[in-house]
Amino acid sequence: MHRDLLIAPMVVLFGLGSVGAAVGENPIKIGVPVGLSGANSVVAPSVVQSAELAVEEINKAGGVLGRNLALEVADDGSGAAGAQKAFDSLVFQKKVDVLISMETSAARNAGLPIVQRGKTPFIYTSFYEGRSCNPYMYVNAWVPEQQVPPIVDQFMAANNAKSFFLIGSDYAFGRGMLQFTRAYIEKKGGKVVGEEYLPMDGTDWTPIISKLRASGADALITSTAGGAPNVTLTKQLRAAGVTMPYGNLAVDEGTAKSMGGDAAGIFISASYVTSIDAPANVKFLAAMKAKFGGELKTPNDLSVPEYEAVYAYKAAVEKAGSTKVDGVIKSLADVTVDGPRGAIKMNKERHAPLTMYLGQVEADGSVKVIKAFKDVDPGDQCPNLK
Amino acid sequence: MSLLLDVVTTAGVLFAVAMGLLVVFGVLKIINFAHGALLTLGAYAALVTTKLGISAWLAWPLAFVSGGALGLVVERLIVRPLYARPLDAILATWGLGIVISQVITLCFGREVQFARSPLSGTIAILGDTYSVYRLALLGVSVALGLLFAALIEGTRLGLSARAVIMNEDLARGLGIDTQRVRLLTFMIGCGLAALAGALITPLSSVDPNMGVPWLINAFMLVMVAGASFLSLALASLILGGAQVIVSTFVSPILGGMTIVLLAAVVLRLRPAGFGRD
Repeated sequence: MHRDLLIAPMVVLFGLGSVGAAVGENPIKIGVPVGLSGANSVVAPSVVQSAELAVEEINKAGGVLGRNLALEVADDGSGAAGAQKAFDSLVFQKKVDVLISMETSAARNAGLPIVQRGKTPFIYTSFYEGRSCNPYMYVNAWVPEQQVPPIVDQFMAANNAKSFFLIGSDYAFGRGMLQFTRAYIEKKGGKVVGEEYLPMDGTDWTPIISKLRASGADALITSTAGGAPNVTLTKQLRAAGVTMPYGNLAVDEGTAKSMGGDAAGIFISASYVTSIDAPANVKFLAAMKAKFGGELKTPNDLSVPEYEAVYAYKAAVEKAGSTKVDGVIKSLADVTVDGPRGAIKMNKERHAPLTMYLGQVEADGSVKVIKAFKDVDPGDQCPNLK
Repeated sequence: MSLLLDVVTTAGVLFAVAMGLLVVFGVLKIINFAHGALLTLGAYAALVTTKLGISAWLAWPLAFVSGGALGLVVERLIVRPLYARPLDAILATWGLGIVISQVITLCFGREVQFARSPLSGTIAILGDTYSVYRLALLGVSVALGLLFAALIEGTRLGLSARAVIMNEDLARGLGIDTQRVRLLTFMIGCGLAALAGALITPLSSVDPNMGVPWLINAFMLVMVAGASFLSLALASLILGGAQVIVSTFVSPILGGMTIVLLAAVVLRLRPAGFGRD
């Protein structure tokens, strides 16, 4: 029940936003199934804010083909069961024209069959472990092929690292990322001297840290679940005096900031950091600040793709000349969006080449960009889809 | 050598975390399932000291006092009518735990936060460098264990508590105010739980659900240990040691299950666990 209570005011809000819609026509509905409760609840509000700003800007500028955009937000509970309900209600009851959202892999996998049945275009805006393919889905966030190489290359070149130790949380994303990391390190001639996992609710990393110290590895790369496990591991590593180069595949800028001293020196790799000094990003940040003021959730690598995906959908509809599914699906691969992350086109097997930023957390918690890698290719994600 | 240090310090952490639960279970014969939420409360006490900018050492007394104060209210309002109905007490304290977590979420937000650690860095010991804080935590656990063992063995309150444990009706007949003994015991148990929460913050994240994974291990250890501090120390050392050894030589994933599995086996073979009878 409380979920409906949560959503009701939002729907009302967005409904009000679309009062005064152009020429009496129904608005184009964008469904946003997102984890307002559960594991993603920390990041979900920033994703919704991104979508709200994009819709507001587009409507102010005259909408899409003369029609306004309207958001339908639904809580997917960050998991499979909630996602089934959320997708079901968005696709079949609200009859949205498109789904644009950042979700957990479990929620995405549960939603895809419904997307397929409802023949609804779906732009997935969360980075993920890769190789999820569906004729109705596009992805504008990174996959391991784009995120991991900058860190490994940096450690090999700048720190002369040859042996690596990998630590992760025992779940699909954690294992998927490290599996790719291991393959990439070995391809580049490095050696993986240890690969250890702890269950997602595990709290004591002591034995793993002892193994890490005994292994004599040159560098450490971790991929834990976000939030608590990541923090626990980092704290215990620091308490144990581990000072080797440390790349964290799962820490976002916000968490790094709040970790302060313990996070100092950690290397991160992302397609978005707030310090990108392109005019589009400066404008985006200013608009977010103006719209949300004190309520603003810091824009991040999970929320900015949502903003850009709304624009990508607008461009695709305009190119296709209507919201008809086949035309939109075809056009999504052809349109380029100039957003805070730069010019992005989802033309590589439903995925997008992205500029990746290698950053290092400073002592005061801010992230310093060390290097930018222009248009990193996502590799062969869905060779069977055009 | 670092394996030995891992074993004893892990046992120290487990002992600290389970102690409050043992105090309540030993004397009151109820399982306080709000124990996990009380750990969380203590961790937020540490967070408050960080936010106020006062010494991180003050987190420990602050946690103990706030846990004890909450224990006072809870015993009066919720637990007191339920001593004769241990199953209902489990449900009530479980629900209480959820309420405490939600109130913490309302006050402090859902996100992971950071409390300052009173100690950091490493120290050279036994030909190895090791985390200063883990060693300090071991010392604190041992000291707390000795202190409360002395309290039980050497003071009037301890004598009364032991009398209540052995035969409550007789104790009451002898003029012992059993209600007061129970109240004090429950408060001490809650205070110790919150103190343990503050003690583990330098090793753990601070978020509204951080206590839950600790609760399960603490529960298992107390089931195995029965009612005495000595057997809890023994249980922490053996089961915690087994966890470290399995994690180190087999897999940390199996290591995470070791305490629960071993506890089940121990209770199957010897229902009294490590206790005397």
